[in-house]
Amino acid sequence: MLRFIIRRLIVIVPMVLIVVSLTWGLIKLAPGNFYTGEKRIPKAIEKNIREKYGLDCQGGPCPWYVQYGKMMGGVLRGDFGMSLTYPSQSVNQILLRTLPVSATLGILAYLLALIVGLITGTTAALKQNSKWDYASMAFAMLGISIPNFVLGPLLVLLFSLTLFWLPPALWGGGSPLNIVLPVLTLSAIYMAYIARLTRSGMLEVLRSDYVRTARAKGLSERQVIFKHVLRGGIMPVVSFSGPALAFLIAGTVVVERVFALPGLGNYFINANLARDEPLIIGIVAFISIAVLVFNLLVDIAYAYIDPRIRY
Amino acid sequence: MQVSNSKPVLILRSIQFRLCVCVIALALFAAACSNTDKNEPFFGKTNPPTNHVLHYVTGSEVESLDPQVGTGQPDTRIYMALYEGLVEYGPKTTLPIPGVAEKWEHNKDWSEFVFHLRHDARWSNGDPITADDFVYSLQRGFSPEFAARAAYLGYYIKYAEAFNEKAVFVRDPNPDPQTGEYIYVLEKDVNSEAGNSETATERAPEGEDVSLDTKFHQFMHAPSRLILPGDEKDRAKAIDNDPKLKAAVAGKEFVPVEAKDIGVEPVNPYTLRITLSQPAPFFLKLLAHQFFRAVPKKAIEQYGTAWTQPDHIICSGAFKLKEWKPYDRVVVERNPYYWDKTEYWKESPTGQKVEQLVYYPVQDSSTVMNLYKAGEIDAFLNHTVPKAWLDMILQKKDYMDAPENAIDYFDFNCKKPPMTDPRVRKAFNLAIDKESFVKWRKITKLAPTFVPEGLFPGYPTPKAELFNPEKARQLLAEAGYRDSQGNYDPSKFPVAEVEVTYNPDGANGEISEWLQAQWKQNLKLTIPLKSLEFRTFLVSRPKGEYKGIARDGWVGDYMDPYTYLGLFSSGSGDNATQWTDPKYDQLLDEANRISDPQQRYEALAKAEAYLLDQQPFILLDIPKVNWMKKPYVKGMYPNPGTLHAWKFVYIETDPAHWDQSTPDMTEEIGLADWQKDQQTAKR
Repeated sequence: MLRFIIRRLIVIVPMVLIVVSLTWGLIKLAPGNFYTGEKRIPKAIEKNIREKYGLDCQGGPCPWYVQYGKMMGGVLRGDFGMSLTYPSQSVNQILLRTLPVSATLGILAYLLALIVGLITGTTAALKQNSKWDYASMAFAMLGISIPNFVLGPLLVLLFSLTLFWLPPALWGGGSPLNIVLPVLTLSAIYMAYIARLTRSGMLEVLRSDYVRTARAKGLSERQVIFKHVLRGGIMPVVSFSGPALAFLIAGTVVVERVFALPGLGNYFINANLARDEPLIIGIVAFISIAVLVFNLLVDIAYAYIDPRIRY
Repeated sequence: MQVSNSKPVLILRSIQFRLCVCVIALALFAAACSNTDKNEPFFGKTNPPTNHVLHYVTGSEVESLDPQVGTGQPDTRIYMALYEGLVEYGPKTTLPIPGVAEKWEHNKDWSEFVFHLRHDARWSNGDPITADDFVYSLQRGFSPEFAARAAYLGYYIKYAEAFNEKAVFVRDPNPDPQTGEYIYVLEKDVNSEAGNSETATERAPEGEDVSLDTKFHQFMHAPSRLILPGDEKDRAKAIDNDPKLKAAVAGKEFVPVEAKDIGVEPVNPYTLRITLSQPAPFFLKLLAHQFFRAVPKKAIEQYGTAWTQPDHIICSGAFKLKEWKPYDRVVVERNPYYWDKTEYWKESPTGQKVEQLVYYPVQDSSTVMNLYKAGEIDAFLNHTVPKAWLDMILQKKDYMDAPENAIDYFDFNCKKPPMTDPRVRKAFNLAIDKESFVKWRKITKLAPTFVPEGLFPGYPTPKAELFNPEKARQLLAEAGYRDSQGNYDPSKFPVAEVEVTYNPDGANGEISEWLQAQWKQNLKLTIPLKSLEFRTFLVSRPKGEYKGIARDGWVGDYMDPYTYLGLFSSGSGDNATQWTDPKYDQLLDEANRISDPQQRYEALAKAEAYLLDQQPFILLDIPKVNWMKKPYVKGMYPNPGTLHAWKFVYIETDPAHWDQSTPDMTEEIGLADWQKDQQTAKR
């Protein structure tokens, strides 16, 4: 087990470097750069800025391999440099500041999705083809098919502009009232997925031999469900959770935009639109690390939940 | 488990039924809301705040709280609370009103300005703001190491460009035996044309303390020194290509242009003299820009880039920083040391002082509208009301309806046929019904000329023909697109050589389609459309890498027609039409040498008439500001730049005194004493 974890951790490094290199290549291929604007700035000022960021080699932009080398050196040292769009802030500062916001939203949304999704999914599976089952699956279908840029404004219309219960947007220093609507919006689709995954996973397990064995042993229904069925039934949910959580924590572009929240997602869009290379690289590196780490966590979780899996 | 077929269907039906009910209920809700909306004079909650705090959405996140770093309009609006320059943007016109400088003079040809600083101007730590602070701020702004993006705005200041570009002077290594001073190679020694302009610049205006003819002042008015590139390779290239220059610099040494060489001089602690390298009557209007505002030497030297943190910052404006949470909010509160103690909120007995301002960065316009409707914010930035909301919002009394310091237009590529022919350019322009265009757009104003009409009082806008399809066809026939009888023949026109290139942001797509329809209708030509991603477009457009026609727009940098007309001078880097004309350059130069403002405007208008006759563009419209403020927010105006001098803003608690429409914009505020001074000075 330990060897497995160490091996996986070592693999993360080259994976992140590959992702970062590809991203860097794409940024270079994209036309225009940070200096391109509606109003052009004089060449001399562009040169001054390049020099300030150490990107000037003898009067011109550095050749690509020097730029790549400098960028990689920074990534390996864990220092992504200063943002171009926000010149008084380093990329690391921005990551450290925005991460708690995105993480709060992401984790809360995921917990909510997990609780509601598991309960509805389990109920639906245990009472298959009942009123409950159909109702919860219809609800799940709705959650999957309404995109969050529609759901968000709908919730705002109802709770903020008609009932005046909750603020329509803004972070408000992370006040609970401000978090409610974004978390609801964000969790809807995950809730729906988890409900469906739980239901199908449980249905499969309910018919399996070991559940019959458990029942035959004379275990109480409660013990059968919680100890055997649920444990096997939530495997699909676990594998879904890894990437889902990683992406939730790494910023939720649409919801952050609609509710004007100071999370990673907002910076990510703006960095891309502005061709802010250090910031894009920093965020991409962070997201890829998050995805890889969460995948690893999922694999470890497998081993604990499913006794058949050994590493 | 066996289940009968009929049962789930029934249940499903009932679920669908319930869903339908929900959806209908929601729709009814929405309808009900918008219905009540329609009857109310103002949009959403309209309760004046009781805690002396105003909330404002300023657009995207500030790039930095350092006014010499951030370049965007959202940033400017925050800088206007925190920092003050020599002059400030007037709340109604955005023309300069006194800031730290209480009055100023200029010499006859507008190449030198003397500013008299008020003695009671203070930083937020209580220290006085002096001429040295402005010298420091400008030297910092132009220093190449600081690499300010906006530094080019101040290139009019003598040797500022050379300093910013790391250029060098050329000096004789042997000092003059008589005076013991170094001798520099002068511009006129090498370039005789530059020598002419030298005689034109005059010494400082006459006054009591300005008569001080300091050594620095003499240096500023000595003939201009020769400036060569600081980069060795570039310099060698320049010298090798010019034998005259080579001879002049032979055996000389190169010394870098330094911060102390730029034309900014503290004559005494409260007098600042700025010398320009050329006559620039519009310079004063440029000076309100954030780049020229006072920044605190003390904090910057102590904390480096971290000086803008709330614990470190020292402000020069009417407000100081209280809290800064990036992408969340910027909170500012009154600066107790600020010089202007006028209680503007007492203009009304029920007026209330604004103690704190909270700025939010919100980019999604529907979100901004929601916040405004819910009463979470009191006003927001320009260009925000989405098109879908306009019909309802235009009825509201808190909608701000005024033109902007900007213009929307399309470039003709004057270097590529068929657009090389001015007759073709004119024909394409005359074939567009701009009046109906403006009616369709709703949030814009007709633009018959390139300098927005009515924006600069006293500017005699030249006449321009708007719409004449008959004449357009005739012009095309004259240009050679005719049949044997001499009638216009659309099939002769090389449609394949022309396309409308645009970036698909905002309404650009719709607008381009509209143009296409007009030409199809009036010229029988189907011009293809081509959409390009924004940055891609921005790279190819200025190089003229487009066929025929490209979308463009211009926002004035300062409140003077020259910010528009200078765009087409041959030195401009933003002219995507590729049209240049020495005659036009000359007309502009002549105009800028005229000292009488009115005569200068007339000369500029002459240049514009020439430009319009050449027609390197299709003028579309002047955008309107398109923002809202709650009726209880007073002292805030829809000025052409959407730049608010926050000290004038107050809260009106009595609904009887609320704004019932766009507020009166005729008489500028903040000028009272100054105007008196200027008038007595004139006499």
